[in-house]
Amino acid sequence: MIKITDLEKFYRTEEVETIALNKLSIEVKTGEFVAIMGPSGCGKSTLLNIIGLLDDPDGGSYIFNDTEVAHFNERKRADLRKHNIGFVFQSFNLIDELTVFENVELPLIYTGVAAADRVKRVEEVLDKMQIMHRRNHYPQQLSGGQQQRVAIARAVVNKPKLILADEPTGNLDSSNGNEVMELLTDLNEQGTTIVMVTHSEHDARYSHRIIRLLDGHTVMENIMI
Amino acid sequence: MNHGLNEVIMIRNYIKSAYRSLKKNTGFTAINIMGLALGLAACLLIVFYVIDELSYDRYNEKAGRIYRVNEDLKLGENKLQYAVCMAPLAQTLKNDFPEVENAVRLKKAGSIHIKKGTEKIREDYIGFADPSVFDVFTLPVLFGDVKTALVEPNSIVLTESMAKKYFGKTDVVGESLLFDDRETMKVTGVIKDIPQQSHFRFDFLVSMSSLADSRSPEWLRSEYNTYVLFRKGADPKKLEAAFPQLLRKYSGGQMQSELKKSYDEFEKGGSYFRLNLIPLTDIHLHSKMIGELSAAGTVEYIYILSGIALFILIIACINFMNLSTARSSNRAREVGVRKVLGSARKNLIAQFLTESILVTFAATLIAMAIVVLVLPGFNVLAGKELSISLQSLKWIVPMLLMVALVVGALAGSYPAFFLSAFQPVSVLKGSLSAGFKSSRLRSFLVVFQFSISIFLIIGTLVVYQQLNYIQTKNLGYNRNQVLVINNSFEIGNGDKVKLLKQQIAALPGIENATMSGYLPTSQWRNMGIYYKDAVPDQSRAIFPQVWRVDADYIKTLGMQLVQGRNFSKDMPTDTASLIINEAAAKFLGFKNPVNQTLYHSKDYQTHGEVSPYKIIGVVKDFHFNSMRETIAPMMMVLGEDWGRVSARVSTANINNTLDQVKKVWSGISPDIKIDYSFMDAEFDAIYRSEQQIGQIFIVFTSLAIIIACLGLFGLAAYAAEQRTKEIGIRKVLGASVSTIVNLLSKDFLKLVLLAILISSPIAWYSMHRWLQNYAYRINIGWWVFAAAGIAGIVVALLTISFQSIKAALANPVKSLRSE
Repeated sequence: MIKITDLEKFYRTEEVETIALNKLSIEVKTGEFVAIMGPSGCGKSTLLNIIGLLDDPDGGSYIFNDTEVAHFNERKRADLRKHNIGFVFQSFNLIDELTVFENVELPLIYTGVAAADRVKRVEEVLDKMQIMHRRNHYPQQLSGGQQQRVAIARAVVNKPKLILADEPTGNLDSSNGNEVMELLTDLNEQGTTIVMVTHSEHDARYSHRIIRLLDGHTVMENIMI
Repeated sequence: MNHGLNEVIMIRNYIKSAYRSLKKNTGFTAINIMGLALGLAACLLIVFYVIDELSYDRYNEKAGRIYRVNEDLKLGENKLQYAVCMAPLAQTLKNDFPEVENAVRLKKAGSIHIKKGTEKIREDYIGFADPSVFDVFTLPVLFGDVKTALVEPNSIVLTESMAKKYFGKTDVVGESLLFDDRETMKVTGVIKDIPQQSHFRFDFLVSMSSLADSRSPEWLRSEYNTYVLFRKGADPKKLEAAFPQLLRKYSGGQMQSELKKSYDEFEKGGSYFRLNLIPLTDIHLHSKMIGELSAAGTVEYIYILSGIALFILIIACINFMNLSTARSSNRAREVGVRKVLGSARKNLIAQFLTESILVTFAATLIAMAIVVLVLPGFNVLAGKELSISLQSLKWIVPMLLMVALVVGALAGSYPAFFLSAFQPVSVLKGSLSAGFKSSRLRSFLVVFQFSISIFLIIGTLVVYQQLNYIQTKNLGYNRNQVLVINNSFEIGNGDKVKLLKQQIAALPGIENATMSGYLPTSQWRNMGIYYKDAVPDQSRAIFPQVWRVDADYIKTLGMQLVQGRNFSKDMPTDTASLIINEAAAKFLGFKNPVNQTLYHSKDYQTHGEVSPYKIIGVVKDFHFNSMRETIAPMMMVLGEDWGRVSARVSTANINNTLDQVKKVWSGISPDIKIDYSFMDAEFDAIYRSEQQIGQIFIVFTSLAIIIACLGLFGLAAYAAEQRTKEIGIRKVLGASVSTIVNLLSKDFLKLVLLAILISSPIAWYSMHRWLQNYAYRINIGWWVFAAAGIAGIVVALLTISFQSIKAALANPVKSLRSE
């Protein structure tokens, strides 16, 4: 599904040029659950953003589903993104002004799903995440675990082939965190590819494979058994 | 620690953090300061203008005690208001009423040519004045004796600049000037130039005794502007109450002998003449009568402009408050930190107020600089000579400081009291901003601002349409391609002027020519009195304009006869014929006016003798007064008035024709310079003040809108900033740029739409009222509201979209990076 070769990304401030990704090459196969680990500043988030088509690389090749996307413009990336990729963030990133239902509905609006169909699909997903009873609440009225479940619901409502999770348990206590990891595992078992950035060895154990980064390089890959 | 020192350190700390916070947000600060500065500057300019208009005649030290006597005349159905009175009135008032300290008559003289070396210079600002003029009005005398200067006949007092113009120095008492090649006037005094803000402007004051008519004992003829200086504490009302008795006493006898009627019979017939008083300081803005010494200002413009100034100030202040409060929520964290570190609430309040007032002071300084820079341009626009003097600084500076303080305090108080009240923990967690961005107050203020802006747009559109209507209305005559020689009367010989007219008419480039001083665009006017019966009866009198014209007049000016025929040179009886306008026909109640006879009395003191005039034609109504007034009855008689010569010029080669006209002129009158103009230019001059006002409206309306947009720009930027995270999320979830722009613009557009709904009816009502001032006016079309609405929306959209697009294009990765 994902084949990245010699990927490069630089950040320039006024004087300093920082290399975030240095000739990085990785591959993720369809149906895999991959964890990316490494110390702060090693380029994990940058990598995730590029994989998620939120950011473009400065060099190298990125083949997503057999298509070279490294040179895609903003519009093409957005198009590919909204149909194929779901995101889960550490800080949930729910929109405060929208209800639980409306938050989850949003991606369907942007992909142009008809209204009647949207209600059905949102309810289905909320049901699955067990937050149906909270559908008319606003994010602030929910606990952290519930908020992350809404965020995951929103990530999967479009039935994406790939879910990118950036420290999905970072803001949660361990029991809520485990619940979220179970959810992700379930999704993976139903066929969704998952790439997750994490600091937590505990969470990483839910994955099939850990990619360890240091200073923008792959230093090691562990296969989990 | 020393308490005072502590205070100083705190204040230094406030100013320092205020300065840094402002510097950090350069864009916001610039918008904020510029908006307020522009608003204040615009407001100041208007205040200057208004104060200038209101200060007319206040240079007179005794201004509060000076009144002018006006005369109201009703004769049959004719009602007239005069700014002039009878010749003996001033002296009578002085003699008979102890509360009258002094009285003075002024009378405008026509234009006069004054010889300077071999050159003859035309002077237009010459007036006759009683010697008491220096006691009543404050006209500082530089040279000469105030008491005697205007006593002797042929004495003249001139202004400093005229002394310099004719003699090159100011001490010219004892010198003499030659008027119109005939009269030698002895200079007996030099005064300072009369201030701009005076309802009369004279460069030369000639002793009233030079004018034989000034000694006339007639009480039935009014030609003198008469001013009364009351003693301190006297009640003008008392004098006004005594006027009827006074008129009865002095004019009764003359009325009996001349009108063959007693004063009582005159009044019983429904006619009257009455005197009343107007305070000197009201004349400029409130008095528009026959015989005014100068064109008056219009008080309604003063109201409108003051309204606009207030609107602009409000818009600018709202902006300032909106932007300040919007921005302050970003500083919630700072407030939290300061509170945690032990800052008391009052310190925070002081800090926010300091910052806000600091900004308003900066804006005030910039406003002053802007005013200084644009004042010359504004003077051109407004036709004024405003300047900033030390005198005006005395009130400007405290006024501005007050405004700065009040606006600063108001704008600062909201964040000061609102933010400082928050619990540091909740502020630090950032839970405050959610409630803050949907502030009802701010929405209300935006609606208010845009209501005003759209009101101003509608107002300006209507004003402009009305002015355009005046410009393009069918006036009943054709003002294009009419060359007018304005000074043919200076030739001083009717036969020569007739020759001039004939020779001009014979030129190849000239279609027609006419000789008459009476033109729709000239100030030359004459009123006459006509009766329906051979035995004069005031109740059946008409008091129309009576213009002496020649047989070529109607054709040359492109007027239209709707009934009857034109004057003819070949009909000797035409000297006793009349051509009347439709308004006169209507006034007289004639269905078929042609061949009706009217009886003319030369004036209302010619011992009741009348001569018959036959109406031979009716001319289509044409405008000869302001469009504010309905067309009055007017009549034309055949006669020779050599005041002006007008000619219709064919369009081809006007310059060549003009040269030939000049050649004809210098053949007839070699030593006087021709003074000519084109009638359309004269027409424009009449409406120049309205044009100026129209332009002033446009300039200030645009300013108001620009300021409102500056505020909207800032608020849109703020809103976009507040929603950065949301925009990021939406983009990650697949929102396109246009979706985001829509999302951000929608909220503001709703407010602008609401503003349109609110302001349209108010604007319609106000402009409808304004249009009532015009006898000839436009109807306000629905499209005015549509245009104003669309303009408002487009401007708002453009303003917002810049920010929205910027926000929509931003990379979501940055906004979503978890803090």
